[in-house]
Amino acid sequence: MAAVVVENSGVPRRDALALAHLAEIADRVRPLVAATERLLPVPGLLGDALPNGGLRRGSVVTVDGVAGMGATSIVLTLAAAVTAAGEWAAIVDVAGTLGGRAAAEAGVALERLAVVRAVPANKWSTVVAALLDGFAFVATDVPVRCRIGDARRLAARARERAATLVALGPWPAEAAVRLHATTSQWHGLGDGSGLLARRDLDVRVEHRGVPVHTQLRAG
Amino acid sequence: MSASRARSRSVRTCCVWCADWPVIAARRHDRALQGAALVVRERIGSRELVRAVSPEARAEGITRGMRRREAEARCPGVTIVDADPALEARTFEVVARAIESLTPRVVLERPGVCAFPTRGPARYFGGDHGLAQRVGEVVAEVLGHDREHIHVGIADGVFAARLAARSARPAEPHVVANGASATFLASWPVRVLGDDALADLLERLGLRTLGDFAALAPDAVLARFGVEGRGLHDLARGFDAGPPVLVEPPPDLVEQVELDPPAARVDTAAFAAKGLADRLLARLAERGLACTRVVIEAETEHGERLSRCWRHDGALTPATLAERVRWQLDGWLTAHMISRDAQDLDVRERQDMEAFADVDLDTTTGALAVLRLIPDEVVPADGRQLGFWGGDQVGADRADRALARLQGMLGYDAVATIVVQGGRTPAEQVRWVPWGEPREPRRPLVVDGEVPSWPGAVPPPAPARVFEPALPAQLLDAVGRAVVVSGRGEQSAPPARLRCAALVSGDGQVVSWAGPWAHDVRWWDTDGHRRRALWQVVVKGDGGAADAADIACLVAVEGGMAGVEAIYD
Repeated sequence: MAAVVVENSGVPRRDALALAHLAEIADRVRPLVAATERLLPVPGLLGDALPNGGLRRGSVVTVDGVAGMGATSIVLTLAAAVTAAGEWAAIVDVAGTLGGRAAAEAGVALERLAVVRAVPANKWSTVVAALLDGFAFVATDVPVRCRIGDARRLAARARERAATLVALGPWPAEAAVRLHATTSQWHGLGDGSGLLARRDLDVRVEHRGVPVHTQLRAG
Repeated sequence: MSASRARSRSVRTCCVWCADWPVIAARRHDRALQGAALVVRERIGSRELVRAVSPEARAEGITRGMRRREAEARCPGVTIVDADPALEARTFEVVARAIESLTPRVVLERPGVCAFPTRGPARYFGGDHGLAQRVGEVVAEVLGHDREHIHVGIADGVFAARLAARSARPAEPHVVANGASATFLASWPVRVLGDDALADLLERLGLRTLGDFAALAPDAVLARFGVEGRGLHDLARGFDAGPPVLVEPPPDLVEQVELDPPAARVDTAAFAAKGLADRLLARLAERGLACTRVVIEAETEHGERLSRCWRHDGALTPATLAERVRWQLDGWLTAHMISRDAQDLDVRERQDMEAFADVDLDTTTGALAVLRLIPDEVVPADGRQLGFWGGDQVGADRADRALARLQGMLGYDAVATIVVQGGRTPAEQVRWVPWGEPREPRRPLVVDGEVPSWPGAVPPPAPARVFEPALPAQLLDAVGRAVVVSGRGEQSAPPARLRCAALVSGDGQVVSWAGPWAHDVRWWDTDGHRRRALWQVVVKGDGGAADAADIACLVAVEGGMAGVEAIYD
């Protein structure tokens, strides 16, 4: 703590030293339930790339990328982090193609993960809204013709329920964080030999329009 | 609820119900009450309510649940005694022992009601009717002139058996035919489900009988009344499989305490039992289990072993478990004292008393030296255990409610959990279990401590997108012919191109590959026999920079047709 000279005038001083002192006091009496309480921490490289190292409750995160670039794996990694913290997670698998084994390998606590499969297009937003009522983490495929009105309503619902909504696909509305899976590079497979062993993913993280670049090593 | 919801069949059960048991117990305790109009009262909050009524008092118009003051107004000379659950349980012990001479699997529900599965004894005593008759006789023998109160019923499941016993007349058991439980239940009022809030609502909806309630669609009931409502609806429909998910109790969870010096008094034994009950439930909770049925076992200082099974609707809490243990110890330790008091009674009464005090009450010859609690039926207690910061209970309830709503909306199978199981392809390695069903693999990863091998299984990492059925594709060699596999599992040429709608450009060049792994699936089975070969391939698009990334796929060829089974997304 810096030594502070307080004069007996009783009037707060405005010089740099006094301001630094004020800042320190403000830092100490800051409410403890601030950001960390509303944050679902994500470990690993992906967490380092996220703002504050985790997912903020009540926010929308989008993940996109063409098939094979690792967008689904990123969602599973996020789900694993959330269930590891003891929370319940739900995934809306519109096409019914989610790989269960991959979820297990990503480290998701499967007993706390509900997967809603084969959702009809006209019920998608109702289903996601119902899940936001009950789960701290809801990841969903975004259907092809997702209206911006529906998307905004769901984002509002997520904020109200303090649930994190992860949209996998082209999300038409605003989002706190956008993750773009851009390229993937596989190692281990040769020309007629070897096996898929591990891969490097390039993820572009966009937080309030500011891009951060990161490279993930999966598997 | 779809047909895929596998329901285990209800266990055929015999229920013995001694009506007005508190009255019988009080009269057994104090013979001066014999023949008088008698009411047993209990205090609930500040109110004094009638818990049980003797036939004489009933004739005066007193019913159960009435206020004490009203009962006294109807019958001014009525004798009122206080309810004593310990006395009731202790007295009921002789009935349990009498039934135990017919079957070892007696389960006490509460003093006055016990049940047992009929499967073995029914065969021995010549069918359900013979068994019911025999049970009635055996109990009548020990109860003497209280035989008027004995009702015996047999039906599918504990719930239906209890109602069958209620509709039976003394010395005339009611046997509901196998599979006829639903019809039998249909005419009962919804009150018998034991959920007053639900019964009120159903009555207001115009559904007065279990038959009306059972006629509702299960999905609709689940959506409107949640999981508890679904359970009661199942009961009303005659499905009574007991707790939905039973787990084999871990053998090392037996809690035992040695009493030194041996306990001859109930309170000393009960004090030890309280700690035992707390420890047992705490250890079960550590493993995420709760107990619905417990065997209480004791050894006397002379080496006799006593044991009795108690069951509880819903999981036992430390308080309810300790209460039951106390009742049971009371039954064992003080039953033989009753016979000592019976000095100056007339012969008939003394015989009655001796029979009542159980012909061989010398089973409890002394103080208890060892006390043991064995969990007999445990269920997963996901909802009960507290999470790391106490939030899990709330989280589980919230999640359950949301999912029950979705199951009502989309169908029972639409909400699933993932269970990893044995298999070769990524699709086979996963079982989608509807939410609420036991999470059991169809092909366990470990069988009797051994890991079954799946020759040719696709090794990890697992693909994140799995297509079932496989997406139609073309796997071509360098000159554009389809790659096929010979009978010996050899490919015609190395794969060079993959065409599939799932790829961004629809077409890609194979830059690296491995395989083929030939699978000869269920070769012993004429219908299920399949032959297929799998490749792992990494594809790059031909286009510009955006296409330069690797896409890894799992490709299968079966019957000359190629398909993309999975994408490593």
